[in-house]
Amino acid sequence: MTRCEEILAAVGEVQPLPGTVVRLISVINDPNSAITDIVEAIRYDQVLTARMLRICNSAFFGVSREVTCIEDALRLLGTLKTLQLVMAIHTSTLLDRGQKGYDLADGQLWRHSVGVAIASCAFAEHTRPANTNLAFTAGLLHDIGKVVLSNYVAEEFAEIVRRVGEEGLAFNTAEQRVLGFSHAEIGARLAERWALPDAIVACIRHHHDPAGLPEPDPLVDTVYLADCACLLLGIGLGSDGLCYRADPAVMERYGLHEPQLERVGIQMLTELRRVEEAFACADGARACAPAVK
Amino acid sequence: MDVIVDIADMKVSADPADDLVTYSLGSCLGVSIWDPEVRVGGMLHFMLPQASVSPEKARANPAMFGDTGIPALFRAAYELGAVKQRMIVKVAGGSSLLDDNGTFNIGKRNYVLLRKIFWKNGVLIDAEDVGGSLSRTMRLSVATGRVTIRNRGREVEL
Repeated sequence: MTRCEEILAAVGEVQPLPGTVVRLISVINDPNSAITDIVEAIRYDQVLTARMLRICNSAFFGVSREVTCIEDALRLLGTLKTLQLVMAIHTSTLLDRGQKGYDLADGQLWRHSVGVAIASCAFAEHTRPANTNLAFTAGLLHDIGKVVLSNYVAEEFAEIVRRVGEEGLAFNTAEQRVLGFSHAEIGARLAERWALPDAIVACIRHHHDPAGLPEPDPLVDTVYLADCACLLLGIGLGSDGLCYRADPAVMERYGLHEPQLERVGIQMLTELRRVEEAFACADGARACAPAVK
Repeated sequence: MDVIVDIADMKVSADPADDLVTYSLGSCLGVSIWDPEVRVGGMLHFMLPQASVSPEKARANPAMFGDTGIPALFRAAYELGAVKQRMIVKVAGGSSLLDDNGTFNIGKRNYVLLRKIFWKNGVLIDAEDVGGSLSRTMRLSVATGRVTIRNRGREVEL
């Protein structure tokens, strides 16, 4: 068994992706799915439903009457927003804890992930992937490998950081050289184990090297651009900082220039704050996840 | 007390108990100003160089952009009694991805704009830690004017 497989085996036992998320992703991935399918995928998850309704009823959404069921939430937010909220709620338990190796405080990886998810939706309008609805989920899960690496290879982190600093390597390249695999690769392997759609697995695997694919993939490009935007704007930066290679070809493919990138950045930050406020309102005492280290 | 300066945000203080702190500076720039005479400090964390990309956002939040945020920061400090000529100015951030082609050069553009505004207004930068691919945390003690930069767990005085 390789180190990568060993780690994956250990992870599989302790951190399954919630069943609701797996069901929802397959619903989102199916263009023929109807609202009733979505309600069915959520309805039996009581914890999720309760939290969902709390968020919808928070002062932040300013609804005039109480939202009492998932169908109400769907009417209030629309299908896509509801799905996004559900995904964000679910991944918050998975991504919320601090990632020591990456020097990310509690909530920071989740903040980064939600930022990338939001920016992915915005970039998808330019890149037009086959299934736009997957952009949010792909963005949300792109760094899932960091959760794994941070928890299971803590002792090798110093060496990774040293090689980045001294040899000027990209962080994912240093991970690859020290461990034999990067957070992108182990994240993709984990997503395969969870039987996530191939389109999402490709985004996780190639979010730092879209050029590694035999031919360009608009959804991968979307997540790549969204990740670049969030790294640049400092949304949940860790010890890896901005130490990733930029690929000029991606912007060129879609005729994108800095002003579009900047506008997406502004939109992302505005929406991210809305999401954080909604979550903070719903959770009462829980702070609005400021960028505290 | 730590006063957090968020992304696209600014704070000023004359309370010697305050530290102004901004986290996670990537390509954004952190600008710290301090008047030793009246012990007034201010910090700005701006995101993008020019407000012209989104004038309505700039009206709602001038701290988002350099060309609206920098004058706003100085004005807010003047209101607490600070004077431009005495101001000690320190700058951090402006990082970029590992990028030989300058594809995403927000950090560099932020810095060029800041230099231009400072030059036009006769403001000198006393110390800076700018560029590279690091994530930085900037902290200003309002009591002493001490500015520190932290990255990857190491803290150095600027």
